[in-house]
Amino acid sequence: MLLGDFGTSYSKFLDLSSARPKPHIIPSKELGTEHRVTIATGHNGKRFTDWYVNELTVLARGGEQLIAEDAFVLLDCGSRDIKFIHYTNGRLNDMGWNSECGASMGFTIELLQRYYDLDYQDLPLPVRPFSVTCGVLGMSRIFDAVVSGTPDSEAVARFVMGIAINAYRFAGSPTKLYLSGGLCDNPLFVKSIPCEVIPLGRFVLLKGLEAIASQAGK
Amino acid sequence: MNYNNVGIVGIPPLAIIQELNRHSVTIHDLDTPMIKADMELTTPYLPRVYCAILRTVVLNALHLTLDAIYIDVGPGKCDCALHVATVLEDMFAIPILTTINDDITGFGTPISQSRMGLLQKFERITEGVKNTIMPSEPPPACTPTAGFWGVPPRDFSILDLFPDTTHIYGWTRCMENKTPADHELELDYNPDIPTVFYAQSFCAKTALARHLALKHPHGLYLDSDVTAGGSAKAKIQAFLELSGVKL
Ligand code: SF4
Repeated sequence: MLLGDFGTSYSKFLDLSSARPKPHIIPSKELGTEHRVTIATGHNGKRFTDWYVNELTVLARGGEQLIAEDAFVLLDCGSRDIKFIHYTNGRLNDMGWNSECGASMGFTIELLQRYYDLDYQDLPLPVRPFSVTCGVLGMSRIFDAVVSGTPDSEAVARFVMGIAINAYRFAGSPTKLYLSGGLCDNPLFVKSIPCEVIPLGRFVLLKGLEAIASQAGK
Repeated sequence: MNYNNVGIVGIPPLAIIQELNRHSVTIHDLDTPMIKADMELTTPYLPRVYCAILRTVVLNALHLTLDAIYIDVGPGKCDCALHVATVLEDMFAIPILTTINDDITGFGTPISQSRMGLLQKFERITEGVKNTIMPSEPPPACTPTAGFWGVPPRDFSILDLFPDTTHIYGWTRCMENKTPADHELELDYNPDIPTVFYAQSFCAKTALARHLALKHPHGLYLDSDVTAGGSAKAKIQAFLELSGVKL
């Protein structure tokens, strides 16, 4: 059984019928008809399956699998949007999905890396962030700062920090935050979140799909 | 009364609806989408960032031939409607008649508590504003498995996501009861069932919806504008599914 998380920039797959299921990832622009799956989630997913499960449900199921506590906040930062689930007493307490103000956040962070030829592994944490609400609006803050003499790397770092603080507030400003999605691999983003952060990586949704598949098989 | 076609906004007092019915005047509920036209046509008259129900009122009024509009501006509607009444007065040469509905005689809320598609329930309740007769055979109450609190949404497609056993609360229940200003009834909810607290974006009721959702042991706050986007629908689906509600 093939599972697929079809994100805006990247798609991730897990083949449960292989001896040792291991996730693999491809850029979403390379998706073709051969990528049909049994269960899909993600922004692009409906085109590739007859069994689609929405991302919030899958995120929650993934969180249930990967997090041992019965009270937690799990934030997923994707290319195009951000979403969170908040459990208390082992039960859903709150959730949010921001595709407007969280718009293109992850996408912009990746775009800036390429445009300014930066490596997020090396960028130091800036002293203060830009106050930005979304990727698109934040871009102009960077350009303004660069024009007025701020080094590219510092302007981008302040932008990333602003975005991270925004995402943290969107998730309800918890004291501890589980993080899912590609931005887990961005140390600047992770360090910019002003609380304890536990990165769970980019395959949380696949884990959620796996749980849904095994539940359906019972 | 020399009117043939009258528009209503909100719920004018029962006495007015009775009068219109007695004279066989056709009533058009301007709060509901009646015209397939671009909402942008309303931007010369109302800001884009404004309650979608009232933008719909203006859109309907621009396309229908009406002899008068009754618009309730009392505590059973809102200040936004009061201001829209002023806008309508300057837009049209027909009488724009403001009312304050403080009816207190309850008609009951059987539809809100019945087993029926949620969309159908809303259709029946909103259709009910045009008449004044008590339903002769009210549907029986069912045991609720989910709740929907709030006003009738501009985009009814979100209602399809709920099970038939969803009970309606909030202003829509007041609407069915024909007591739109009954604030006590509007505040009522069932703490034992997962409930979506809904308000139109840019409506003052967003504060109440959010407040009640936080108070409710298992509530989700939700708002949407002209159309409910994929993320609003996904939130409802995930909320119901993760709350163990059978669909
Ligand atoms: S949704 Fe709110 S702002 Fe809009 S008409 Fe109803 S009460 Fe007024």
